[in-house]
Amino acid sequence: MKKNFTSPAGRAFLALVLVFIIGSIFNADGAFFKLGTHRDTLREMSVYGILACGMTMVIISGGIDLSVGSILALAAVCSAKMAIHWGYSGWLVLPACLIIGGLCGAVSGFLTARLQIQPFIATLAMMVLARGLSKYASGGMKVSTAIANPDGTYRYVNVPPFFQDIDHRILGGSFSVVTLIFIACVLLGWLLMSKHRVGRYLYAIGGNEESSRLSGVPVVGTKIFAYAMSGMFAAMAGICQAAQEQQGDPEAGVGYELIAIAMVVIGGTSLMGGRGGMGLTLLGVLTIGYLDKILSINAVPEAGRLVLTGIIIVIAVLTQRRRRT
Amino acid sequence: MNMKLIKILAYPSLVLAVIALTVGCRKSEDTQKANSPASSPPSQKQFVIGMSQCNLGEPWRVQMNADIAAAAAKHPELKVIFKDAQNDTLQQRAQVEEFAGSKVDLIIISPKEAQPLTEPVAEAMDAGIPVIVLDRRLLGGKYTCFIGANNEKIGKAAGEWIVKALGGKGNVVELMGLQTSTPGQDRHKGFLEGIAGSNIKVIFQADMQWLEPRARDEMESALARYDNINLVYAHNDDGAHGAYLAAKAAGRDKQMKFVGIDALPQEGIAYVKQGILDATFQYPTGGAEAIDTALKILHGQAVPKEIVLGTRLFDAQNVAQGGEDLK
Amino acid sequence: MTGICKDFGRTTVLKDVQLEVRSGEVHVLAGENGAGKSTLIKILAGIHADFQGSIHINGLEVRPKSPLDANHLGVAVIHQELSLIDSLSVADNIFLGRTPTRHGFVLDSVQQKLAAQWVQQLGLDIDTRRHVGEFTIAVRQLIEIAKALSQNAKIIVMDEPTSALNAPEVERLFALIQSLKARGCGIVYITHKMEEIARIADRITVLRDGKWIGMAPASDLPIPKLIQWMIGREVTEPAPERGCVEDQPQRVDVFGSAPLPRSGSGSAGLPVGPGGRQRLKVENFGVFPRGFSKKPAVENISFSVRSGEILGIAGLQGSGASELFHGLFGDFGSRTRGEIYLDETRVSLRSPQKAIEAGVALLTNDRKATGLVLSLSIVANATLAGLRELSPMGWRQPGRELTAAKEMASAMNLRAASMDMEVGFLSGGNQQKVAIAKWLQIRPRVLLLDEPTRGIDIGAKQEIYQRMREWAGQGIAILLITSEMPELLTLSDRILVMHRGRCTAEFSRQEAAPEKILAAAMGTAMTNRQN
Repeated sequence: MKKNFTSPAGRAFLALVLVFIIGSIFNADGAFFKLGTHRDTLREMSVYGILACGMTMVIISGGIDLSVGSILALAAVCSAKMAIHWGYSGWLVLPACLIIGGLCGAVSGFLTARLQIQPFIATLAMMVLARGLSKYASGGMKVSTAIANPDGTYRYVNVPPFFQDIDHRILGGSFSVVTLIFIACVLLGWLLMSKHRVGRYLYAIGGNEESSRLSGVPVVGTKIFAYAMSGMFAAMAGICQAAQEQQGDPEAGVGYELIAIAMVVIGGTSLMGGRGGMGLTLLGVLTIGYLDKILSINAVPEAGRLVLTGIIIVIAVLTQRRRRT
Repeated sequence: MNMKLIKILAYPSLVLAVIALTVGCRKSEDTQKANSPASSPPSQKQFVIGMSQCNLGEPWRVQMNADIAAAAAKHPELKVIFKDAQNDTLQQRAQVEEFAGSKVDLIIISPKEAQPLTEPVAEAMDAGIPVIVLDRRLLGGKYTCFIGANNEKIGKAAGEWIVKALGGKGNVVELMGLQTSTPGQDRHKGFLEGIAGSNIKVIFQADMQWLEPRARDEMESALARYDNINLVYAHNDDGAHGAYLAAKAAGRDKQMKFVGIDALPQEGIAYVKQGILDATFQYPTGGAEAIDTALKILHGQAVPKEIVLGTRLFDAQNVAQGGEDLK
Repeated sequence: MTGICKDFGRTTVLKDVQLEVRSGEVHVLAGENGAGKSTLIKILAGIHADFQGSIHINGLEVRPKSPLDANHLGVAVIHQELSLIDSLSVADNIFLGRTPTRHGFVLDSVQQKLAAQWVQQLGLDIDTRRHVGEFTIAVRQLIEIAKALSQNAKIIVMDEPTSALNAPEVERLFALIQSLKARGCGIVYITHKMEEIARIADRITVLRDGKWIGMAPASDLPIPKLIQWMIGREVTEPAPERGCVEDQPQRVDVFGSAPLPRSGSGSAGLPVGPGGRQRLKVENFGVFPRGFSKKPAVENISFSVRSGEILGIAGLQGSGASELFHGLFGDFGSRTRGEIYLDETRVSLRSPQKAIEAGVALLTNDRKATGLVLSLSIVANATLAGLRELSPMGWRQPGRELTAAKEMASAMNLRAASMDMEVGFLSGGNQQKVAIAKWLQIRPRVLLLDEPTRGIDIGAKQEIYQRMREWAGQGIAILLITSEMPELLTLSDRILVMHRGRCTAEFSRQEAAPEKILAAAMGTAMTNRQN
């Protein structure tokens, strides 16, 4: 692929380079150059990044998924319940939560692909439903290592090894496991989109659903697949979130879907569908993640952060626009 | 199976389901009977108290309701009807009006916002129903009694404890709650008052918006920037927990102390017991006090216009005994 | 317009082109697809503001910067791709950008009245308050023309205006053009239809490969010479007779061997030519797009096609021919009645996927909207229908895909800079070739072609005709919908005429004549066949 700066990847890369330059200038007494800072930044963006992987697939197919934040919470609560309260091993918790997330996504997919409900509405409904399920499953309170006894006192259990393994650093403390999980998700997404038939189908459906259907593309099945994958990625993000908080918070993930969408869009994937890819999303995640970190280490007050982030998103999207010939 | 029929049915059904889910949850009146029905002596007069809670999403508010219920359980002549406004001001207005309409004996309200709820409460007062306001204030003075903690006082207490714990000097990271909300502003102001005059320096400040993941991210930035941190003061226990995890991952948790606020039994107090936090300050719900005051009002006694609750300190030394009262 | 040059990036699309239009004349702009006609018109219309050269209108030099600018200069363009907005009313569309308002409020009744006047001039009897999307393509085209006329332009550009019109509608349009000429308008007319050029052109300008070839009065440019100017080589006849196929040199058989039957019925060695075995039989077929309780688009049609035979389907707008194809292809799911037999075996084609598996392919009549995915590459489009075969176990094999696509491309004589370029950038003819190539990939037994040469230059048309003969020769049964009479007559072995969803006539090649077909298509004569 041509790496010249007019291709989508080139422009996304340019945006990232710009952010790095800003970070080098405003480096907060050298904090920006420390290895630990980069390791932390990568960890901090990972949960959002995992959501962005699934979101990319859905957006390329021409849809949108507003439910990922709620599914994240549902998975966080379920995984915490299973791992902390019931002491199940990770080998059981992981697939179980992924299935829960996948089912939620599949329902959204069914609503939009088979019953022809607009993705915005279908996933909005799932967003409310999954949030409700999280609160129901957790009883409205965080599922933590402090377990209530019937008499009102609490007993404390250890953080399960499954969670400890996730919230953990490897390679001599220079890389977080969560980041590894994020990269694995990017790779999986990339394999599916670029190397597998289902990816080609997703691009086709996003580009022109009617033509795809009339060319024999299994539109309904493929769309359901995309939303199910988005749900599974959201569940994975939820497990990572729970592990890093050492608790399952039913209020987790509020607003995360918008951040994921922003990351995908800044990367260069078009909201209209049919164009874009995982690599672009990775660039978008890095750009927003690093931008956030730069604002954080410089202790920029909250109001300033919101304004700056908003401005930079607008600039990024403007540079992304394909020139109309 | 007629696809078109499915489509015609599905869309409105889905919309209805969504509406039902949200509205139905709103209308869920959690009629917790605060007394054991079997043992209420018929000779004593039954009082009905309507309680409107602005939301039950926050564990602290769940605790408030639990405190009210527990206190009322001791008085079989009280029956409390709980309503959850789900953080919707209009819903809460409606609840106050419903209570007034069904002529309860007393209303307890923990309002979401001051301005829109001042009038309904005033009208209830005009109808002869006494109203106790918990936690957040209303405008003007048309209510019977306000019971609340003072976040500034708590912040100040925290500040003073920190000065003592650090021997008057040290580097502190302050992780703040939403600075567009009163509790966040008050806990910040009070803290600054508490450390005034000492050599405590606030080297890093960030708004983590009460959220644990954000607190952890901000703490990582602080850790990256500063080698010498003596203490982390977070406006809530969640934030302190997040900061602790960040420090622990960096291997620096032993180098510093962690202070939070709220002291819910399964969060802040648990953290102190587990050695994660060095101190937490209770943000009392006022539930028990509300019932006490209600009883006084119902029996015709005078009550003060305002009851400011004190806080309790929970630290490693006193947590086993259930903390220490601070006035 | 003189000395017009235009580049898109590194590609030069127009080089030193000139065009001169007098008031009161019809000036035909001719050339193959990709010759640059559309680009030249877009420059005049203000869509491409960036060009070299100069434009003079009534002696004044102008440089239209936007379509609105061009409108103010007196230029109105009727595009090939209709620029109407489906969700707005007819009146709104006609006055889009010039909506009559008072203090910002739209003067609806004024708009309605004016729009109704314009629309009636074209012989359309429609309610201008209805949404444009409710009308057929033919009507929409006329609305587009009304829109351009209502702008009182002095220069009117018409880009393939008759592609979706039937004979009476075309007559009305030509009458209108005469009246515009009388009013002193200059008309630039782009078309591929030779009969039209012969009828209405006053002068003709020919472009080829972005260069100006020449301009001459129509009387000096008989059709053969015109064609020669356009494609730079001699072509004997627009559509060679069927009998010539044996005289052609042996072509590479795209399929390697004869098309493979799908359902294991094992009929090998299909004979060539229309004397083959029965390939497709359709009995009492009906299509009910809006459900069984509503009026069907196709009603009780029965026919059969032999392998190697080309069955032409003729009909005017609303005849149900396209719906017949879509119904056979499974596009209407279970909203069909009747039986379909492929190679004498009953099949149930309830979805496009099933149809493809059974060996049925449908080339739709609107390649941009329903035939291709414009954002994908040539390879991606060409392999879309056959992707399952090219990717066992789901993992794609780009090498195999590229090879297959290149094979199909060379079979269709598709010329493109790179197989990875987006199909949206190709010319109409090349796009159609990609759309057809996609179907070759699945080795179909039955090929349903809906207007395969619409909007395509004469060179590409020829190539497609050649291919159709080859495929028939290889035993594929071909069903062809076309609104061009010469094409229909010379390609078809038999012709079926449809009118309002029913079959009104069937002719063999010898029996067929344009008047008989047209009569049957209008529902007037019910001679040959009653259904």
